Amino acid sequence: MVFNSLEFFIFLPVVFFLYWFVFKKHLQSQNILLLISSYVFYGLWDWRFLSLILLSTMVDYVVAIKIHAGDSQPKRKLWLWVSILFNVGLLGFFKYFNFFVDSWVDMVSLFGYTMKSTWTLSVILPVGISFYTFQTMSYSFDVYYKKLKPTNDFLSFAAFVSFFPQLVAGPIERASNLLSQILHKRTFNYEQAAGGVKLILWGLFKKVVIADSLGPIVDDIFSNYSTYPASTLILGVTLFSFQVYGDFSGYSDIAIGTAKLFGIELMSNFKFPNFSRNVAEYWQRWHVSLSTWFRHYVYIPLGGSRVSKLKSVRNICIIFLVSGFWHGANWTFIFWGGFHALAFIPVFLMGRNTIYKDSVVGENTVFPTITEIGQVLLTFALVTFSRIFFRSESITDAFGFISRIVSNFKYETYHHPMGYRMIDYYVLIALFVFYEYLIRKDERSPFKFNSKVVRFVLYVLIILGMLLFYDDSIDRSFIYFQF
Amino acid sequence: MILIALELLVRLFYLGKDNPVRFVDPYQVEKWVPNQEGYSVTGNRRQNFSKYHINQSGYNSYREFTPSKDKLELALVGDSFIEGFHQPYYNSIGKKIEHRLPNLEVYEYGYAGYDLADQLHLIQQYQSTFDMIDYVVLGLKFENDLTRGTYKVISSRIQLESPIYRLVQQSKLLVYAQNIGALAPFWTLAGKISSLVNPSPPPTNLTKKESSIDERHQQYLANFKELVKTYGFDKNRFVFLMDLEITPPFFIDYLKEHQFKFMDVSGTLKASKTPTTLIYDRHWNDHGRSLVAELIANYYKNQLP
Repeated sequence: MVFNSLEFFIFLPVVFFLYWFVFKKHLQSQNILLLISSYVFYGLWDWRFLSLILLSTMVDYVVAIKIHAGDSQPKRKLWLWVSILFNVGLLGFFKYFNFFVDSWVDMVSLFGYTMKSTWTLSVILPVGISFYTFQTMSYSFDVYYKKLKPTNDFLSFAAFVSFFPQLVAGPIERASNLLSQILHKRTFNYEQAAGGVKLILWGLFKKVVIADSLGPIVDDIFSNYSTYPASTLILGVTLFSFQVYGDFSGYSDIAIGTAKLFGIELMSNFKFPNFSRNVAEYWQRWHVSLSTWFRHYVYIPLGGSRVSKLKSVRNICIIFLVSGFWHGANWTFIFWGGFHALAFIPVFLMGRNTIYKDSVVGENTVFPTITEIGQVLLTFALVTFSRIFFRSESITDAFGFISRIVSNFKYETYHHPMGYRMIDYYVLIALFVFYEYLIRKDERSPFKFNSKVVRFVLYVLIILGMLLFYDDSIDRSFIYFQF
Repeated sequence: MILIALELLVRLFYLGKDNPVRFVDPYQVEKWVPNQEGYSVTGNRRQNFSKYHINQSGYNSYREFTPSKDKLELALVGDSFIEGFHQPYYNSIGKKIEHRLPNLEVYEYGYAGYDLADQLHLIQQYQSTFDMIDYVVLGLKFENDLTRGTYKVISSRIQLESPIYRLVQQSKLLVYAQNIGALAPFWTLAGKISSLVNPSPPPTNLTKKESSIDERHQQYLANFKELVKTYGFDKNRFVFLMDLEITPPFFIDYLKEHQFKFMDVSGTLKASKTPTTLIYDRHWNDHGRSLVAELIANYYKNQLP
């Protein structure tokens, strides 16, 4: 079941009603309902892979208890490795097995040997596996680092792992945030629920209007890049930047909003990354839950920035390459991660990686300064360039795309593949950027205006926008489901 | 409040199309109630916006149909392509033909969904009118227009005039949502639930056999013969307007063999370097209509006195 389906908009009110009117009295009953709902939510996509979620849940439930009970550090570490090997093994098998086999075959062929990749398997990638395995691992890590005591309540733990709003595409929650909420009875809060509905509306707008409407243009340009001039290719990758942002941040907003309806606060996943002033700030604003996960469980254990500069640079490279590889079993993602590492390292070496941590562009002014505009545009250009790797089907295509920009540097008017007016999309993007700038200080309150009239007008315009750009003929699946 | 505001905005920007009222006349011919006007809108963002005008005969046309022995007239009989709700009524195929052949009056008897049974039944019922019309062109799509061998009013279309449906159509927001496909998931879900409640029987060997292409085509040919026999067909005056690219060769051979006249739009449309259909659907755009009008005009140019 996906968020932008009618099934979900029937499912959600039903679960909401049961949760607050039938199962509200006891914590246990609330969690049982969440667990059943989450399994139904996932099972409607493919019930066979529920067994993987259950298995991952059971392993980390037991592992955490064993870590906690471990009387020696080696024993505790051993159990932690059980969790890591199991979860990474699941990912490795379902997501990376064929990649490794193919890469091995390619490498061997470089030395003049020919091998057939007969070992590859036709395995379906279970939706959300990259997200829930990381979430369960975070629990074992937190128990290992003694930030959390393991729970003996298996049902609540299972509800934490499978919590349907964020099960298939995040935010990847740390147990210390989500599990602690699931272990306490929730009470209905009107403000929180209303805030949830608003986030769902805003998330849907970003998905339906921004991401889905740009999809056919981006698909056309990337599929036929060898026939287009540089101006069209630059347009394509720029629109892809907005598409992937609208798609993923839209999903996250719907997830966070849905969780709010059940009295649970998930972490923010996107904080207006398009207004970042350098690449470091970008990573504090883009897919925050993943970068937080890597920082806590990979970067800091490796020594983080408390080691020598050289080792810190090594750690940065590891983080970005692993992060790229997490996105998919393709060299394109590894190049994408590598590019970001290269863009991040100078910022780090100049000591500017945390200077924008607690501020936003135009922090104390209505308009950004000229310098800020320049910084934002440069960061956006760098990030957008990296998305050529992110979006291309293969590394050959990515370099072909870049080479075409350089070799065919000219302008031609681009026409929508389905014949629609392109000006509609340019105006749409301009209005979207302008509106995001207005609300840039609070990503969790997209309609935070004092005037009721203004809010009402916005709700109407948002829904009208969804109607104006709705297209039932296009693929409406979320991009991050493939990860 | 939000719904009311949306309804107002949809009306203000004219995003939802008007739906003219249809009826079945005393001759059992389905057509539009005469003397209606409105706007046909296609696409989410009003990509196609055109005015229609239903004349006294119940068809979308810029002129009244007044055939007489003293004038030269051509009737275009067909489905939505002839009906032309996707074009301003004053710039229709008929008007374009008249522009090319100034001495000819063109009457467009177009109605969405008209198949050959509808067309021949209309001509038969209004024989006195059609007898005065010098030339008749009938739009024919083999796969769509020969699925039945006898005429009967199609009740599903007339049900669109039920009080409930008409009431629903008062909301331009609903009409708009329906047109852009936003309500399609509801109908799909309703269909799924319905099929769960009343599962349809598995296809039998007989239905599988019936659906084989050859048999279906033979049935269409039989329907064609039946229709021509039942309602009559004046081979001297009647000409089919067809797309031969989507017509089976055996049917083309049959038409030739039995001296049915036809003109082919496929070559003209295919040769065009610019698109001939609208963005949102397969109906002809202004350029497509010009090409079709030119084809018809050229066909009759040398036949006119």
